[in-house]
Amino acid sequence: MRRLLVAWLMLAACAAPAAAAELPDWSGTWTPFIGDQMRRIKTDPVPWTPAAAAQIAAMAAEEKAGNPRGLFIDCLPEGMPSWMLISHNALEFLFSPGRVTLLGESDGNRLRRIYTDGRAHSTDPDPSFHGESIGHWEDGTLVVDTVGVLPQAYIAVSEAVGLPNNGDLHVIERLHLAGPDTLHDDLQIIAPHVLTKPWTTTRIYYRQRARKYEIVEGECLQGSFTPSTDKYGNAIFVPVPQVNGNPKPQ
Amino acid sequence: MLSLPAPAAAHHSFAMYDPATIIRLDGTVKDFQWTNPHVLLWVMGITKPGEAPLLWTIELPTSPGNLSRMGWTKHALSPGDRVVVELNPLRDGQHGGSFRKLTMQDTGQVWVVKLHDVPKAEAAK
Repeated sequence: MRRLLVAWLMLAACAAPAAAAELPDWSGTWTPFIGDQMRRIKTDPVPWTPAAAAQIAAMAAEEKAGNPRGLFIDCLPEGMPSWMLISHNALEFLFSPGRVTLLGESDGNRLRRIYTDGRAHSTDPDPSFHGESIGHWEDGTLVVDTVGVLPQAYIAVSEAVGLPNNGDLHVIERLHLAGPDTLHDDLQIIAPHVLTKPWTTTRIYYRQRARKYEIVEGECLQGSFTPSTDKYGNAIFVPVPQVNGNPKPQ
Repeated sequence: MLSLPAPAAAHHSFAMYDPATIIRLDGTVKDFQWTNPHVLLWVMGITKPGEAPLLWTIELPTSPGNLSRMGWTKHALSPGDRVVVELNPLRDGQHGGSFRKLTMQDTGQVWVVKLHDVPKAEAAK
């Protein structure tokens, strides 16, 4: 396995500007430090514009009153930067020549491709939930520049509080090991339509090597269906009656 | 590492449930759905002596992946199991709630969902 890895790294070195032998070991599964996500909202307050802040305050009050908005109950991807900011689920990194890929759990669409082959941003990228991410390595730090994110993608501080970025979103990340099994994502979020200045914050992930942490398949919408049988005896899914994204009590 | 109580929800806020109220539901498992984003449990039961049994929809606060890491499996509960479930009810009074704890009436086995951050870098095994 190690020999295979070395051969693969040599291949990566030929294809990518970064010297592959210098790439850090980010293997394993990474779980977010959820308690710190919540603390950071207070220690690194979001510089919302006054208009955005008023909406955020109303959403927070609604959540406190037991009527959460549920930003993600439609099962569309959390997208950028919310995935990195508020996910409670594990992620993993795949290194391949010229690219770093992030895969996540509990959302079948959770995938980021970060190109590290030296390319520049497209002149007019097609907008997507995760945007167009271009990265490069600086001494073991993956510096990622993301543009081309859909204006509808949320800047979320929780699963019930957040606003669409409303366009022109730019995210700069510095992902690096802060310890043998601790990874930091230092984010700078530039969203001129909802923020008065760039929001700078950090998210922390812990490495898990136990097999039970390996990523498992999770499709967000699957819980909206229940197994059944059609008239021919085929195994099928049928919708579960729902109210606001929750199973409807009988 | 400081381990704060934190919902491990993958999908939505649990604020529609009242965390200050705990209801004890005594009944029988009708179904246990092991799917994303949140595992679901349906129990036909009563919350007061003499009450007519009702079907309650109970949401576990996280996914099969995260529950597996806490020791749960898809076979943890089966239709017909006699159980006592502690739940935080829906604020609107409907027969639904957020799962807190379950005791199997026949064996005494207890199931919980530890709403904490997963340990920092658990050893490989």
